Amino acid sequence: MLKASKEIKVVGVIWVVATVAGVTLAIFAHRLLPGMLPPAASSLAKSQDFTLGLFTVLAVPVAMLVWVVAAYSVITGGSRTMPTDEGPRIHGNFKVQIAWLVSTAALCIGLVVYGLALLPSIYTPSAGRNLVVDVTGQQWQWTFSYPSYGNVTSTTLELPVNVPVTFDVTSRDVTHSFWIPAMGVKVDANSGVVTTAYVVPNLLGSYVVRCAELCGLFHAYMQSPVHVVPMNAFTRWISKRQATNA
Amino acid sequence: MTSVIDHPSAIPHAGPPARRMPLSRSVLSGLVVGLAAAIVTFYICHLVVGPGSVRNTELTLAYVAWGIGFLVGIGATNRPLSWALGRAEPTLELDQDLAGKGQGAWRYFRFTTDHKVVGVQYLVMSMVLLAAGGLAALLIRLEVARPGAKVFSIQTYNTIIGMHGLIMVVATIIMITGSFGNFVVPIMIGARDMAFPRLNALSFWLLFAAVPIFLSAPFFGGFQTGWTAYAPLSVQTALGMDAYSVTILFFVFSTAVAAVNIVVTVATMRAPGMSWVRLPILVWSAVASSTLGLFVMPAFLASQYLVVLDRTLGTGFFVSSQGGSQWLYEHLFWFMGHPEVYVIILPAFAVILEMVPVFTRKPLFAYKVAIGGILGVSGLSVLVWAHHMFLTGWSPTASGPFMLTTELISIPTGLAFLAAIGTIWRGKVWLTLPMLYILAFLWNFVIGGVTGLYLADVPTDVQLHGSLFVTAHFHYTLMGGAVMAFLGGVYYWYPKITGRMYDERLARLQFWLLQIGFNITFLAMFYVGLQGEPRRVGDYANQFATGNAVASVGAAILAVSFLLFWYNLLVSSRRGVRASSNPWKAKTLEWMVPTPVPLENFEEIPVIREGPYEYGYLPTEASLSIEQSSEPESAR
Repeated sequence: MLKASKEIKVVGVIWVVATVAGVTLAIFAHRLLPGMLPPAASSLAKSQDFTLGLFTVLAVPVAMLVWVVAAYSVITGGSRTMPTDEGPRIHGNFKVQIAWLVSTAALCIGLVVYGLALLPSIYTPSAGRNLVVDVTGQQWQWTFSYPSYGNVTSTTLELPVNVPVTFDVTSRDVTHSFWIPAMGVKVDANSGVVTTAYVVPNLLGSYVVRCAELCGLFHAYMQSPVHVVPMNAFTRWISKRQATNA
Repeated sequence: MTSVIDHPSAIPHAGPPARRMPLSRSVLSGLVVGLAAAIVTFYICHLVVGPGSVRNTELTLAYVAWGIGFLVGIGATNRPLSWALGRAEPTLELDQDLAGKGQGAWRYFRFTTDHKVVGVQYLVMSMVLLAAGGLAALLIRLEVARPGAKVFSIQTYNTIIGMHGLIMVVATIIMITGSFGNFVVPIMIGARDMAFPRLNALSFWLLFAAVPIFLSAPFFGGFQTGWTAYAPLSVQTALGMDAYSVTILFFVFSTAVAAVNIVVTVATMRAPGMSWVRLPILVWSAVASSTLGLFVMPAFLASQYLVVLDRTLGTGFFVSSQGGSQWLYEHLFWFMGHPEVYVIILPAFAVILEMVPVFTRKPLFAYKVAIGGILGVSGLSVLVWAHHMFLTGWSPTASGPFMLTTELISIPTGLAFLAAIGTIWRGKVWLTLPMLYILAFLWNFVIGGVTGLYLADVPTDVQLHGSLFVTAHFHYTLMGGAVMAFLGGVYYWYPKITGRMYDERLARLQFWLLQIGFNITFLAMFYVGLQGEPRRVGDYANQFATGNAVASVGAAILAVSFLLFWYNLLVSSRRGVRASSNPWKAKTLEWMVPTPVPLENFEEIPVIREGPYEYGYLPTEASLSIEQSSEPESAR
């Protein structure tokens, strides 16, 4: 059996190699698995995708430490038969315990600070005039209305590209959750209260609103199309809706 | 405390076992009285409320009557009643009869106080519930294997996911603390039984009474809410919801009774020399998780009590048009709901830490730090519940603090991991089945823990909350972590409980099928969750088809694995090789008593002289014989 100091070096090298490999894999995971993340149709969604990657990169060394130490010990010291001798009588190691505590605490506090720094991006509207959309959930459909355009209502969500949007969300019955996966925006729809969510759609295209809170029988089918269109197309659409609504 | 433990000296001259199988005070008399009470209550209520179709008032009351009737029928109230009526003090014979002396296998079907009988009852109940919940899981994966609602109606599908959820939650709460907490913990601390043996039996039969109530839900239209049963959806859903609510009422009483018992037992009945810093880690975590459960489960009871009132009397606690609030429900629910996962996971950590020293032949690394970790997790866990409510709109200001507490909990959790890998490091790793499960736990739980960070972080939770990513995450912790620890524990204590060894080759095959099936299923579920598939949908868009098909293949492998598991346990309990009383050369007290463990465990209460994990050679006496310390008399 190798001496402890030698073993620590060997494990250290394996850990570094495994971490580098794992981090590389984490960075390129979304290239290897196309379609793993929805198209990021807002800066919010882009930032979430970045955070997912960042957390994965930070998690790799921690996970690798646990796995490499366990795997190394099993491979070098493992046997299918009952060991004939005992392992070393080590009850603990003050330095290791402190190092572990300090490094996990530092990592954890770092993540909290990072999360706190990003909170305003979710809970505060973007600067400039926001397009307000009233979203109403009911079993089992969404209705969208545009108060600044004479409360035009629609069952599809039409949004102009690059214009900040404020969603005022409520429910007529049970709790629903308003979710546009492509834009990384989500807030519950509660009966009797209005909740808000903010986003700036920045990618033209068609997406989907899904309900993310089990709301009874047809929850799975409670979804509506979202179209992010150029401003002039939006204006045309809204005036057409105004004409039909009136 | 009128139990057999009061008369230990009298055991040898107790009379010969009476060969009788009285039907009174058994599960049969319980069924008869319970059913009668339910039917009578139902018809009386039906008459009072007036004619018409079945309403939830009479159904709810009939469920409650069934439960109380069952407990009276099985004899849970006999002793308290005779005490209240001033009858004579119970004799030793009566106590031993109550403990199941001389009743053979029949004692498992009676109101039996022996902690080992209760432990086995819980173990079997855990297996039955895991099987029922597993069957539901298989049906879910069958339905969502392909897009389109093809196998069940959506209504049936929603009921199945709710039943899967609650059955598995109950199964995982009881599987370790109920089974090993009852069978092993009293022996580990050197006690002859629990502090309150009759409460122990009561806790099991309360749970037992709740099971048929819950299983009746599909016959009354099921329920559409999932196991979280959010109000006001639960207020408006079908009659099947009543089954859910009443089940919770009984289950919470059961956990409370069990928790009080474990805490008092450990506090008062430790053998001489068994100081708190010599307690095996399983005992620590049984106390920690019981205390935690005692503190948080009443919130669950309150939530369901209010739901029952909303449904029967129209009180509107959770209905906004009546001044109620859905957020109130969510707070009550998650105040129980998040600590509850630690009620499940703490005993799982402990089972892992209990087994690691045995199978690496080393002392537990940083024992006190590991205990600190367990206590730290319990303490912090009551401060994290609102991370389930980041996106409810309830209070954006609260998101920061709850994100902080949630992520802080990874620090004490890390300490438990440190203890595990610190012990494995340079150990003489003995690759038995329990050891394989330790390694599986380390693999799965790391993934489960790390993915928890994405959900604790508010910005990424905005995207992932309510998606299948969450489902995959908590299955990695609760199944990949807790259930793996439980299965490892089953293999570890199997020779002590049954007196026989399991089939090693079959168990190894089953282990690998389990790990492969599990990882396939839930890695695929992470994938579709990231893609944006919501949880709890019986039908989905084509973009999620590949991931779901893969997950269903994994689920099929899981099913095969579990069938092999139960087959192995059942067959080996009859035909397995006889096991010695300490096949692992372990040092905790349960391995120092004979197998099968006699009634009242110890002829003489042992005196404890050292900690539970003194494995390993000392530098000065490298040839320390392990046989030396495993003789019963020396008792460590």
